[in-house]
Amino acid sequence: MSAPGLPARESAPKREARRVAPVTGKRLRTLALVVLATVLLAIWAFPVLWALLTSFKTERDVLAYPPTIFFEPTLRNYADVLFGSASLLPNLLSSTIVAGVSTIVTLLLAIPAAYALARLDLPAKRASGFYVLATQMLPPVGLIIPYYLVLQKVGMLDTYSGLIVIYLTFSLPFAIWLMVSYFEDIPREMEEAALLDRAGRLRALWYVILPQVRGGIAVTTIFVFLNAWNEFLFAVVLGGNRVRPVTVAMFNYISVEQTLWAKLAAGAMLAMAPVILLGLLAQRHIVKGLTVGAVKGGGRR
Amino acid sequence: MIEKRTARRNRLPAERGEGALRSEAGDGRPGAGSVSMRGIVKRHGSFTALHGIDLDIAPGEFFALLGPSGSGKTTTLRILAGLESVDAGRVRQDGVDVTDREPGERDVAMVFQSYALYPHMTVHENIAFPLRMIGTAKDETERAVRDAAAKVRIDHLLARRPGELSGGQQQRCALARAIVRKPRLFLLDEPLSNLDAKLRLETRVELRKLQRALGVTTVYVTHDQEEAMTIADRVAVFMEGRIVQVGRPQDIFARPATSVVAAFIGSPPMNLLPGEVRDGMLRVAGMDFPGLRVRAGDGAVSVGVRPAALRIGPDGLPARVYLVENLGDTTIVDLDVAGQVIKLRTDQPPNVREGDQVRVSFAPDALHLFDPDTGLRRD
Amino acid sequence: MTVRKGASDPFALALFLPALVVLIVTTSAPLVYLAWTSLMRIDLSMPWLSGFAGAGNYAQMLGDPRFWHSLGLTLVYTVSTVVLQVALGLSLALLVLRIPKGQGALRVAAILPIVLAPVVVGLFWRTLVLAPDVGLVDVVMRALGLPSYNWLGDPNLALVSVIAIHTWQWTPFAFLVMLASLSSLPPDVFEAARIDRASAWQRFRYITLPLIRPAIVIVVIMRMMIALSAFAAIFAATGGGPGTATEILNLYAYRTSFSELNLGYGAALAMVLLAITLSVSFAMFRVRRAR
Repeated sequence: MSAPGLPARESAPKREARRVAPVTGKRLRTLALVVLATVLLAIWAFPVLWALLTSFKTERDVLAYPPTIFFEPTLRNYADVLFGSASLLPNLLSSTIVAGVSTIVTLLLAIPAAYALARLDLPAKRASGFYVLATQMLPPVGLIIPYYLVLQKVGMLDTYSGLIVIYLTFSLPFAIWLMVSYFEDIPREMEEAALLDRAGRLRALWYVILPQVRGGIAVTTIFVFLNAWNEFLFAVVLGGNRVRPVTVAMFNYISVEQTLWAKLAAGAMLAMAPVILLGLLAQRHIVKGLTVGAVKGGGRR
Repeated sequence: MIEKRTARRNRLPAERGEGALRSEAGDGRPGAGSVSMRGIVKRHGSFTALHGIDLDIAPGEFFALLGPSGSGKTTTLRILAGLESVDAGRVRQDGVDVTDREPGERDVAMVFQSYALYPHMTVHENIAFPLRMIGTAKDETERAVRDAAAKVRIDHLLARRPGELSGGQQQRCALARAIVRKPRLFLLDEPLSNLDAKLRLETRVELRKLQRALGVTTVYVTHDQEEAMTIADRVAVFMEGRIVQVGRPQDIFARPATSVVAAFIGSPPMNLLPGEVRDGMLRVAGMDFPGLRVRAGDGAVSVGVRPAALRIGPDGLPARVYLVENLGDTTIVDLDVAGQVIKLRTDQPPNVREGDQVRVSFAPDALHLFDPDTGLRRD
Repeated sequence: MTVRKGASDPFALALFLPALVVLIVTTSAPLVYLAWTSLMRIDLSMPWLSGFAGAGNYAQMLGDPRFWHSLGLTLVYTVSTVVLQVALGLSLALLVLRIPKGQGALRVAAILPIVLAPVVVGLFWRTLVLAPDVGLVDVVMRALGLPSYNWLGDPNLALVSVIAIHTWQWTPFAFLVMLASLSSLPPDVFEAARIDRASAWQRFRYITLPLIRPAIVIVVIMRMMIALSAFAAIFAATGGGPGTATEILNLYAYRTSFSELNLGYGAALAMVLLAITLSVSFAMFRVRRAR
């Protein structure tokens, strides 16, 4: 990129030097950036990879110093965690049921509500929208006390239905808020065209609008499920022995006497396997969801 | 499946046996497609978009709503579609009051400015959708879709999605979707504005031919006066929420009702110069025209003259040539007359250069006189 | 789009009402109950003392040093994690912008901390990363010849550790949002600036920063909400300890209610936290709207 207006006469070696310097300078900079990126990758991915590694070690290998990278892998930990006395399987089941059902219920309630908020002539529309937003601001710790007291009185502590209903507290406002932004992105003319095509409002929603927010529904589903699966506070306070999601069960491997390192690692890997898989498979959706949520405001994560 | 249960209200009122419409049209369908609007008022909060619109559209007419942006023409169209409510006034189709009817109950089809095609459906499914919604049988739907697609010449694109079509093809798909169920009223909201200039001219002609072939009453919104003038049977000129003139294009062109209409129609639009009438004599831009007998009363006037009616010659108003635009077969000359710029149009290239002092004259019957305050015609 | 004039739309109501009812039942009704509870004295360990206490819990709070300590911790925790997340996230995003090829891999790496359950993250760090002798950090420090620290057991270091944990987990979020925001900036504005001889720093300060300010504000608001209600990670890592070294307000409320069984006081603490959260979010939204 030679600049015009430079003096025409310039010695050849000088010109050569000038041309070489920027190239290596740029290369150095790119190299530095690549190194930095790798460091980042390491910092963020390493703990998970380290846990994965640890889960295949024996307890003794774990405590070895210097830490061994080459060792004899064993599946004992996974076997113990899955089929042993304190099996994680019932917990995985609990998590699946609670997270799955609450996600479905959330979507069934949130999608129509979001459509109504985004599009239809709702009385007190602004107030309703604001109310939905405000409910997202509540700190969970403020809700568990009354929940505990009420559920205890009604005898719904440690039940699936109790927990699922309570999970709606954080899922529903968030899902509504996300879906509203997706509905708002659809041009109004689409619905008007459908109405003129004699579809009627319900069919317009079903045949024309919903197919177009498929992406938004996917993103919302992912985030709602993620939040529900990872929930801890509600699970530990309002669950019990029968309903005990994996997040609570993690503490099985830690006691005052000792920490079962390898087993904990294996347990954690199993507990987090669904969400990690979801994260890897749906990463584009997740990134889109994060930025949409960030741009339109609000959101639990 | 939802679609099987064709809701009772989704059938046309006529099919339900209500509000049966008598018709003179020979196609055997109830209603011929006449439209009338009386005293339509529309407000948005404190802003009045329409100040009382009266319109009568004959069956089979190609009727244009013309005006600058914000003049209320699109609002009027949407009221006809049933997409907007009215604050006062009635809308009638074939004599039946449809003011309170839902859009789906009016037997109206619309082509939106953005086409509003369903992006997740193929062209075929898009066109079939209105028929599907009223529960038409499969083979009949198939026939109608192919028929409509052939009429607009996109029958080779039926398997594609809207996203895979060009702008012109999308527009034709929207047209096909509108005509497939043979509506009584056809509404078009600036359908050509998203096309490039050449395509616009071609499509204009095609639209006109299509409408003639179908014979359906069409209401067409545009801000492009050349478009409206060339394809419409009649034009309603909108200004600031009011209709200021209704008539055939040639009549509006020949006798614009107000100076605003005059300044809007024509390309380039009519020139307006301040003038005065005294004792039946006209004085324009400081020069008297004693030979001109004027029918208007005394007082200040706004004198309108079309660019094509001006001539550069030995006598007339003194003017200085400001700009010469050679467009190939026509030339437009901008002239500075007593501080005001007017335009002249001619097919013969004039021998003038910028800066020349010339004289501009006009034929006596080419003048339009308007009241400078109200804008109304004076003659 | 409606043809109905003014009257409320039954279709819209039918769609919205179920969700609204659930929301009211699950969020607003409990809030009322919480407020009521905060006015009571409910001590499950000493049930004979239970009864109406009026503003007694709140009065007690004012004179409670543990409360003020907790409030201070909450402030420090919230502000430092948010500032760190935004600063780190933004810097990293700026640097990574230049390597389009690496962004795919980084996206995957960034997603991993975000999808993990905070409680698992807390446990990870407590055991695999920060534990003395076996933990990653300790191994690295010893390999570098540096002394060993008791990251979670030392009251002075525990807060730092807990802040580090939260920042580790949530910086990727800020990073991803900033990256998306930066990528969406129109390049011609920057080209114009370069022609106008603006240096890299000037371009950043006068063009980049103002253009991504909305994204920054949103990230700050969202992260602040999360930081104020962060529970699981700290609970798993330190339980609020050692002692009360990492006992931010919601942990204090939790412990008071479920470890010490003093539900009335716990409810009052929760009310205070709620008030703080709501006022901070209102203030931030006003800031956002003002800009």
